[in-house]
Amino acid sequence: MPSADPSALIRNLQQADSPVGLLQATRALAAACHPEAAGHLVEVLGFNNPGAAVAAVEGLVALGTAAVEPLLTNIDGYNYGARAWAVRALSGIGDPRGLEVLLEALAEDIGPSVRRAAARGLGQLRLEGLPQEQRAAIWQRSLAGLLAGAADPEWVVRYAVVVGLEQLLPHTLPAEQRARGLAQLEGLAAPASEDTLVVRLRARLALDNLSG
Amino acid sequence: MVVAGDPSSSPVPGGAPITEEEALDRLRQTDDQSLQYYAAWWLGKMRSRHPDTLPLLCRALGQRLPRREAAGVEHNAVARNAARALGKLGQAEAVPALLESLEDDDDGLREAAARALGDLGAASAIAPLCRRLASGLAGAGAVRTDSSRLIEPCEAFLEALGEIGQAHPDVVAVIRPFIGHERPLIRSAACRALLQLTSDPRWGEQLVQLLEHPQLQVRRAALMDLGASGWRPALEPIRRTLAENSLKLIALRGLAEQLEPPSVPGAVDGAARAADSPHPDPATTAVLAVMDDLL
Repeated sequence: MPSADPSALIRNLQQADSPVGLLQATRALAAACHPEAAGHLVEVLGFNNPGAAVAAVEGLVALGTAAVEPLLTNIDGYNYGARAWAVRALSGIGDPRGLEVLLEALAEDIGPSVRRAAARGLGQLRLEGLPQEQRAAIWQRSLAGLLAGAADPEWVVRYAVVVGLEQLLPHTLPAEQRARGLAQLEGLAAPASEDTLVVRLRARLALDNLSG
Repeated sequence: MVVAGDPSSSPVPGGAPITEEEALDRLRQTDDQSLQYYAAWWLGKMRSRHPDTLPLLCRALGQRLPRREAAGVEHNAVARNAARALGKLGQAEAVPALLESLEDDDDGLREAAARALGDLGAASAIAPLCRRLASGLAGAGAVRTDSSRLIEPCEAFLEALGEIGQAHPDVVAVIRPFIGHERPLIRSAACRALLQLTSDPRWGEQLVQLLEHPQLQVRRAALMDLGASGWRPALEPIRRTLAENSLKLIALRGLAEQLEPPSVPGAVDGAARAADSPHPDPATTAVLAVMDDLL
């Protein structure tokens, strides 16, 4: 339930002078679930305090669509730690306005943690309100991004691509595209083409889930 | 284990892409140490299989000068990077040169050599590592008078003994005292090695306690140490730890891969194929589910 006035909580956050203080103030502001908190929670993502960042992401995801604008306008081009948390929040919210940021992040960001969060997000965009045509177009672009991401040099990004594909493939896609997605998962499950065991395990699980 | 903020990023900022031939040429010349430094790192990172790679890296291990802290990239730094690269290449031919580096005056090189020998699972390193650690907390584990470093790079030595994995009672006895070291990173490394060698849950429980340490650096180290040991009961504590998701994911990868039974040598074709592309069991699936939530 939104609290009446978050300004006291925001002041506490701004005056926090220790890692634990910042964590507690962030948790309290996130729990208030107030739209005015969004910009301040986005700021916390850049403070290099992982505990507080987790709490801030949870708060932003809980705010949902109200947090999308502050996230998109404050993406930090210089701090990939902060970018990873912001992309993670966008992924959790699943608002289609995040599509371009997610595609670009997976394809180009230098931070593996950013690419990883983007791959996850491309599988879970929430498109219920959109016309069928638009949904199909977004799914196809997401699939193309994930297929390209399967060649990422970092195992954790390929792992996230598997998770993204598993979530994307049950949607209505042209048969040929669905087949490409499944073939990519088979490749990520096979030792001949994937050298990281945990990625192969996750890809096998995804294939099991998709055929079950 | 000491960890940087984003463990998967390159340690050489702005390093432009180069080819294997260029990397070998850069390592061959000795006028510019910063070129050699980058080349050694690159060859390890790319797991170079070129026939010249191993001999050149071994030669770089011998590039020694008195250590000068303010000298920037110097010969000793090249040697340290060469040791790290040799660990990544996974070729046993590097072991004799690395054993020699274990006796070097530069503790930074001894540290890198020990880690590489651990990576290679070199049983011949057990005796020299134990010999250097045998003086315990008052000797190997004491703080130097001229810096904050310890007499021996104990963390790397302990981790190497755990990685090599021979649980001889003499080895365990050498490691044991270090669980009482004043520095939590050394305690973490000792618990990790003992957990790997003995599978005794009390060492896992001590590592789980370190996940709640007030210093982020200690929590990160305990995460990596639990991941290296693959200790399954750490799943939930790892999930709750206040640290970067990147590090939790690396730790959980260790748990997931540990849970999978290794493929049986000489197994019939069908079984071998199943081990190649295994269907995860319920315990592994539980680890994967936690990993999914951390992406």
